[in-house]
Amino acid sequence: MSCEELREQYELYALGLAEEPERSEIRAHLDRRCAACERGFRQAVRPVAALGATAQAAAPPSRLRRRLLASVGVEERHYGWPVAWAAAALLCLSAAVYFSGRERQYAEESLRLRGQLGDQNTELRRSREALAILSASGTRDVSFGQGQPAQPAGRVFVNPTLGAMLIASHLPPAPAGRIYEMWVLPKGGQPRAAGLFQSRSDGTAMHVEPGPVDAAAAAIAVTLENEAGAAQPTSPPLVVATLPVTGR
Amino acid sequence: MKRRDGRALAQLYDRYGRPVYALIFRMVRDQAVAEDLVQETFLRVWNRAQIFDEHQCASGPWLLAVARNRALDYVRSQEGPGSRLAVCEEAEDPRLYAALEAGVSFAEQARRAKQALTQLPEDQRQAIELACFDCLSPTAMAAKLGKPPGTLQTWLRSALTEMRRAMEAGVAE
Repeated sequence: MSCEELREQYELYALGLAEEPERSEIRAHLDRRCAACERGFRQAVRPVAALGATAQAAAPPSRLRRRLLASVGVEERHYGWPVAWAAAALLCLSAAVYFSGRERQYAEESLRLRGQLGDQNTELRRSREALAILSASGTRDVSFGQGQPAQPAGRVFVNPTLGAMLIASHLPPAPAGRIYEMWVLPKGGQPRAAGLFQSRSDGTAMHVEPGPVDAAAAAIAVTLENEAGAAQPTSPPLVVATLPVTGR
Repeated sequence: MKRRDGRALAQLYDRYGRPVYALIFRMVRDQAVAEDLVQETFLRVWNRAQIFDEHQCASGPWLLAVARNRALDYVRSQEGPGSRLAVCEEAEDPRLYAALEAGVSFAEQARRAKQALTQLPEDQRQAIELACFDCLSPTAMAAKLGKPPGTLQTWLRSALTEMRRAMEAGVAE
């Protein structure tokens, strides 16, 4: 058959639908590199190939890619469940380390706040004790160091049932390893220890020693002692406040 | 591709795996068979990589032609020795698609093909879909549509000629 006779068969041939004898004739023309048939066939085959792209979309399963690549010796890294679990474990570990750090930080903060709260409670208790002494009847008080700029100055309050209190200024903080100790000096007897205290950096101090005070107390004194305190004064008194005989 | 680098095959699959799978699945209507034939299609192209590169062939249309033949061959085997379908082996020559994608991407060609298909008369569009995707011979189509086989052949020829013209013209929007 001539190329002219085959001209209308190229499309059917490209579709695989050409009948005999046209099918064999076209094949023979193409085998012998017939230019007209090659050109006609080329024109016919392209829209047939393009038609393939009009098929309704369908997604291949992901395993198909791995399978294809494995068939040519390409093993792609497959991040399966073990890796996912490892990643999750690493994440958990990081979170644990992070939250452990945070927990420690919170614990330290909590400890600091509890310390502050304890200090404030102590201060509050001491203020209550001081207020009780100040406002109670029978409290005797006296100033000391007045008119002596270089010396500690202040006031003492003594109540026979509630305790003794000292408020002072110009009392520099005790050196390292040393501490101030307050004494109750009874008339004609040995000094009795009335608590240890430290002054603030500005030289002020307030010390309360709750509890009954010997009715015979004649004076309140302060000495500088070793930080463990002493049973009896071991240094000259820095403060001596002689109590008035009668109460307020 | 020429060096048969596995990464090149991966790229080729990433680019054309979906349309190739969609075509084959539409023709064979069986997922497991479709997966086998997709693999066969890409491996066949892979094994002819040298020709492919030397002629700067358009990989998309060539892959679809190879894919269509693999699916058609499977359908023929299912129909048995009396099948009137034929596989057009010559359509798998990559040189037929040389420089086909120069200046026109595969995605654009697919868009043009879809648009050209919708612009065909209804009977021609139906005939071309029965031939391309349902793998019916003109005789089987004639029985299905109640038209003489000669009429079906005419419709198919006209449809493909119109599609080619429309695609070459770019199909005005």
